[in-house]
Amino acid sequence: MNRWADGKACQLHYPLYIGLTWDDYDISPVQDLASQVQSLLRAENDLSLYDFYIIADTTTAETSQRAKLSGPGAGGELGEYRGHALSVNVITDPSTKSTSASLRTWRPVLDVRHNPERSVDSATLAPFIASEIRKIYEHENDAISHLLRDTPFTTSGQVEALSPEVKSSLDARRTRAFKYAATYHLTFSLFTSSASPSAWEAEQALEDSIRPLLDRFSSISEFTVDTQVQLLASFSPSIAGPQYDESTREWKLQRTDLSGFVNAAEWPLNPGIGSGPTINFVLFVPSEDQSPLVLAETGGNSWLIPQWGGVQILNPSGKQSEKLSAADLRPVMLTFADQLSALLGLPDSPASPSLRISSLVRERATSLVLSASSTLGALARLSLKLTSIAIPDSVAKSVDETILRLDQACHDLRDGRYHRALENARTAEGEAEQAFFEPSMVGQVYFPEEHKVAVYVPLLGPMAVPLVMAALKEFRKLRATKAKVA
Amino acid sequence: MRLSTLLTLPAALLPLIYAKEQHSYTEHLHLKPLPDNSLYAGFTFTSTTPYTAYASNHFRYFPRSLAQILQYTHTAELHLRFALGRWDEESWGSRPRRGSREGGNGVELWAWMDADAEEGWSDLVNSLSGLFCASLNFVDSGKTTRPVLSFEPEGTLEELQETRNGTGELRLLHGMLPHEVVCTENLTPFLKLLPCKGKAGISSLLDGHKLFDANWQTMAVDVRPICSTGGDCILEIQQTVDMVLDIERSMRPRESPIPRPLPIKDITCDETKGYNGHDTCYPEGPGGEMGWSLSSVFGRPIRGSCALGGGEEEEGFDITLKVPSERTVEVISETAIPQSTSSGSRAYRLPKDANFDLDLPHQALESSSSGAFALEQPPLYASRQLTGHGAERGGMHTLLRNPHPYAQRIVYLESLPWFLRPYMHTLELSGAGGKMEKMFYTPLLDRQRGTHLELLIEIQPRSTVEITYDFEKAILRYTEYPPDANRGFDIPAAVIRVLPNNATQDQGQGRDYYLRTTSLLLPLPTPDFSMPYNVIILTSTVIALGFGSIFNLLVRSFVLVEEVPVGALAGVVWRLKDGVARVRGMLKGGGVGKEDDGGGVVKKGEVVVGGEVRKVNGGGGGGGKKDT
Repeated sequence: MNRWADGKACQLHYPLYIGLTWDDYDISPVQDLASQVQSLLRAENDLSLYDFYIIADTTTAETSQRAKLSGPGAGGELGEYRGHALSVNVITDPSTKSTSASLRTWRPVLDVRHNPERSVDSATLAPFIASEIRKIYEHENDAISHLLRDTPFTTSGQVEALSPEVKSSLDARRTRAFKYAATYHLTFSLFTSSASPSAWEAEQALEDSIRPLLDRFSSISEFTVDTQVQLLASFSPSIAGPQYDESTREWKLQRTDLSGFVNAAEWPLNPGIGSGPTINFVLFVPSEDQSPLVLAETGGNSWLIPQWGGVQILNPSGKQSEKLSAADLRPVMLTFADQLSALLGLPDSPASPSLRISSLVRERATSLVLSASSTLGALARLSLKLTSIAIPDSVAKSVDETILRLDQACHDLRDGRYHRALENARTAEGEAEQAFFEPSMVGQVYFPEEHKVAVYVPLLGPMAVPLVMAALKEFRKLRATKAKVA
Repeated sequence: MRLSTLLTLPAALLPLIYAKEQHSYTEHLHLKPLPDNSLYAGFTFTSTTPYTAYASNHFRYFPRSLAQILQYTHTAELHLRFALGRWDEESWGSRPRRGSREGGNGVELWAWMDADAEEGWSDLVNSLSGLFCASLNFVDSGKTTRPVLSFEPEGTLEELQETRNGTGELRLLHGMLPHEVVCTENLTPFLKLLPCKGKAGISSLLDGHKLFDANWQTMAVDVRPICSTGGDCILEIQQTVDMVLDIERSMRPRESPIPRPLPIKDITCDETKGYNGHDTCYPEGPGGEMGWSLSSVFGRPIRGSCALGGGEEEEGFDITLKVPSERTVEVISETAIPQSTSSGSRAYRLPKDANFDLDLPHQALESSSSGAFALEQPPLYASRQLTGHGAERGGMHTLLRNPHPYAQRIVYLESLPWFLRPYMHTLELSGAGGKMEKMFYTPLLDRQRGTHLELLIEIQPRSTVEITYDFEKAILRYTEYPPDANRGFDIPAAVIRVLPNNATQDQGQGRDYYLRTTSLLLPLPTPDFSMPYNVIILTSTVIALGFGSIFNLLVRSFVLVEEVPVGALAGVVWRLKDGVARVRGMLKGGGVGKEDDGGGVVKKGEVVVGGEVRKVNGGGGGGGKKDT
């Protein structure tokens, strides 16, 4: 237990296997380039959390060639299939002026366009690729360093100091995001302050805008989606409410009101049943006489409530319709999708979403390992401090399971199997929490020794009186005999 | 037209209407003055959702919070009741909705659930307990029964199972919580389930102050699936609130609710009575129908309509008022109200965004017309009592009376808690016209399961049947008693289902009639709850005394009085006493001084010796050197 709590059981390191292909070269120059890039990456000290392995891969080149021919769908599993975190695809292109790099959107592939006829480019190709790779992992490195900061898992020299701006942006991202869970319940609610619109084509709109995003995340968590319509929703009495601004002819909602905007007492936003947190998305349609309703400072219409969900105001268009169509909802859902990515803790860079998701997997696995270890530490301290506490078998079993799972997660991390590491870390975290919050142990804490004293005092008190008196007497006698002898 | 048929008719038509418009919501208020200045108000709120939308979690009028619970616990059909008070059949006649929307005093719940019912049931009661702020989580296995004959599903469960490809058989579970006091905290979540949440439509009349001040009230939530033959299923939730208000009491002002006598000049005396003097007066009743209005009885007018369904359903009327045709009714609203008047009932449709109120002034009606509104006789009268005395045994006695000229078959359901142990050999059906056809009985298991007793009885025309049995009262464990143990333990109401027969079917009343007896209060032998502390103190004292004496016997040595040396402290005490005696002698006077001196010395000696002896026995403080 303590080995984990002290961070001695696992040295967190992230091997990254990067495939390198060069479309029209043989194996040997590709291998040369790969070793050059690898040594360049390892020489620099700034990405010390990662071990880069650059693998020259001619078979991948063929696959990617074929993929290029057969269209974008065929090579979709390229990175994952090879077990590579990233594939660097060097394309010889005589028409380009200088070497350039671009990330593909839905695949972890970095395309590097390179002109072999310009000798300058050939010389700088390896440093260029190295710097591009560094750029991709820089942000993630910062985020993980920030996670590891002030935990026992930090080893000296491994984590460099972060600039305050980076730190604050990472902090903001972390406070905004939900704690990691295996299942999230998404609730999309339409609140109208009058009786209309009373319907929305949410099913269609969700299918169009939210579902693709959820499919991307499906490797990390599962999602359940439900929608509801609530009419005649009123503002909470605790907020001042919107103020009419004569100059812009708009109703302005003050910044101070945003935190109390969601009327928790009256709006039925109860969390979903079953395990996992509920993420709420509220679309609020103000009544005719209070529209347009905007935020006072920014003039915008949506905001995010950290670790709770997102709120958006949709001002009714000129014609008051009973039903919001999927086309009306499209911009709304896109905003919700953005808010959802932020709430799930998706990093802002690199540009490719698939790389962002895989970096999120590493971050989440790390934070779960850290949290499970610290829970273990807390449990160990608790059991040492409260010696009278009875520890049931189930707790011992959970702790064993936690340690086993943590070991596995650590191995998986070191071997680069990040999804399995995440799975193991999640189980470890769950078991650790279960052990710590074992209800029978909580009950034990609230029966301290003092209560037993209250029961035994009526018995022990009267019995102690003759004992004490006799002891006093004996003591005096002893003193008297001593005095006599002297 | 009868109250019950009027209510059953729309209920029977509902599935036909909603087959087309699947997301729908309707509401209806039925008002009917009853004798003795009472007013019956029946609120009905019905929402539906297509089953496909329910299964994919897209909700419009159907409440999401309840739907989640139903999905999670695999509940196909749900009935939940909150009830308070007693329907007075003698003066109010037959029950509204044929008793199908009321429950026993407290909370009652029954549901049809998928195969793994035990776990689902526990989840269901716990979730509903949270949703409705009721103690439903106390409906454990000891309070749950599985009735066989008493309830039948209202929805089309078999078709639903086919559509869902469900293989398991649905099971019925039933639980009652008679001790629960229904109050405002249950009404608020009830209203939250409605699309208009009590802000518009007839639900704006529902106010906890008035509702729970009623003579009788019951709130019900009923969820049932309705499948058409084509395999399209919809899920319907019907929420109902029925109450009987005492008009006079609900109209009293809120700031001074205590009724005060009128000044004598405003009272008309009943001249038909014989008077002995001129200073007495028998006040005459107001006579005729009492005047009332919606806003005075419910505290506020209706705030606009809650019509959500779109154009098609606006044909229906929101309010039905059942009064004789010559009764004056004034409609108070800013806009014109569509209304229809038929013999004996008037219907109104609520305005869109305007208040609505009905005012019925005080009016004396001719007796002939009120005769047309004679109360319908209920199919059966039932009452149940506890008999016997003492803390050990008791008896149950139920009286069923069939007032009709035809025989009736009934199902009588009792679910008794485990601490009431019936002696089944004493179960007896007495009276002229009773015949027991079937009996279902599940014996109790201590602390695990209560008794379930179901009887199918035929009662002959115009006859009375008595059901009696004896029982034994169990003695509970110390921790099983509630804080108010001496109040007694609530025994849930018996549920009686009157099966339809040929005679009633001819009158167009094809459905079952339900009635419930009042719940009972059973006194159990209760212990003195300070007992454990008394026991601790008493035994501790005894042990300490015994220990002290034995300890002293072992430790002390016993010596003669003469051998006791005068210790330092004893000397001080001696000198003090000497001084006191001398002062006393001086106060008494010099005459006896000499004798006193001598006597004083002798006394001192005795006192000291006595003190020493006592100290030796008692083991208390004092001279330390006396036992050398």
